Amino acid sequence: MDKVYIRSRWFEDIPVGEFHVFGSHTFSELEIVEFGKKYAPQLFHTDPQAALDTPYRGLVASGWHLTAIWMKLMVSYSYMERFANGVRDGRRNGAGMAIEDLVWHRPVRPGHTITFIYDIVEKPDRIVRDKWGIIRSRNEDYNQYNQLVMSFMIDILAERNPGSGAHSG
Amino acid sequence: MRYWHDFKPGESFITPSLTVTQEDILEFAAEFDPQPYHLDSRAANESIFGGLCASGWQVTALMMRLITDTLQEQSVATLGSSGVRQLRWKMPVFSGDTLSASLAVVASHPSAQPGLGELECRIQMRNQNGVPVLESTITLLVELHEIATRISGDVHG
Repeated sequence: MDKVYIRSRWFEDIPVGEFHVFGSHTFSELEIVEFGKKYAPQLFHTDPQAALDTPYRGLVASGWHLTAIWMKLMVSYSYMERFANGVRDGRRNGAGMAIEDLVWHRPVRPGHTITFIYDIVEKPDRIVRDKWGIIRSRNEDYNQYNQLVMSFMIDILAERNPGSGAHSG
Repeated sequence: MRYWHDFKPGESFITPSLTVTQEDILEFAAEFDPQPYHLDSRAANESIFGGLCASGWQVTALMMRLITDTLQEQSVATLGSSGVRQLRWKMPVFSGDTLSASLAVVASHPSAQPGLGELECRIQMRNQNGVPVLESTITLLVELHEIATRISGDVHG
């Protein structure tokens, strides 16, 4: 079986300033309720009728449902990028390390379509466990009315190119 | 019910615990984070994590579950979270791990939203060995007082 890793480029080949609109997702009532029941069981996430009597005045998606969909779209976008670039070797992405300044600006309701954007803002000068670099991106996600619904910064590990003289810059 | 005015910085809670099964990890990964180290034990063993582990976003969702259960147990009139000042994934969560969290109120502010206040809370989630797997500072929205819960004249919750 082929090994599949999603990172299509080495750390060194990912430029600061790169900007991608990497996917959109329409949230259905059913999936909002399913996620809410598992991870955030409050009426405004689980019961469309009872949610009308809460300050949200209707069902809203859990903020952590938005971040889960962010991940889903990020994975499928990276696979597409990988195939487009014909990458076959073992370079890979690592783990998410940290997030900062995550804000849920306004509710996401059933039928809303959210578009996800990331912008690579920094590659901190730090090597993690000898072979990983850090990619810091700012993420902004908008609804179909072009209103910001979520924003955050995230640090993700990317593998450094072993052939690039590594261990520096 | 307990409202925003009822909380002061320094108050803290310990959440109940929950155990993460391999099935939970595979199900979340298949839907939201289909990467080899969350789906396949052999690939996971060769990865930076060293074994099949939960998506970091599943861990954050489980953090919310622990917080939600605790606030409900304490009858807190909460509207969930409005943001996360910072969060670090400290260690992977493996199948079979049992997680619980501590939650400490560190600051309290009025919210820009009418009728609501914010509680800034430090969260530390640990596994069954007491090892921190996640640390964060998150903002919880809490109703200021009882009136806000009766927008349409109905009492709920």
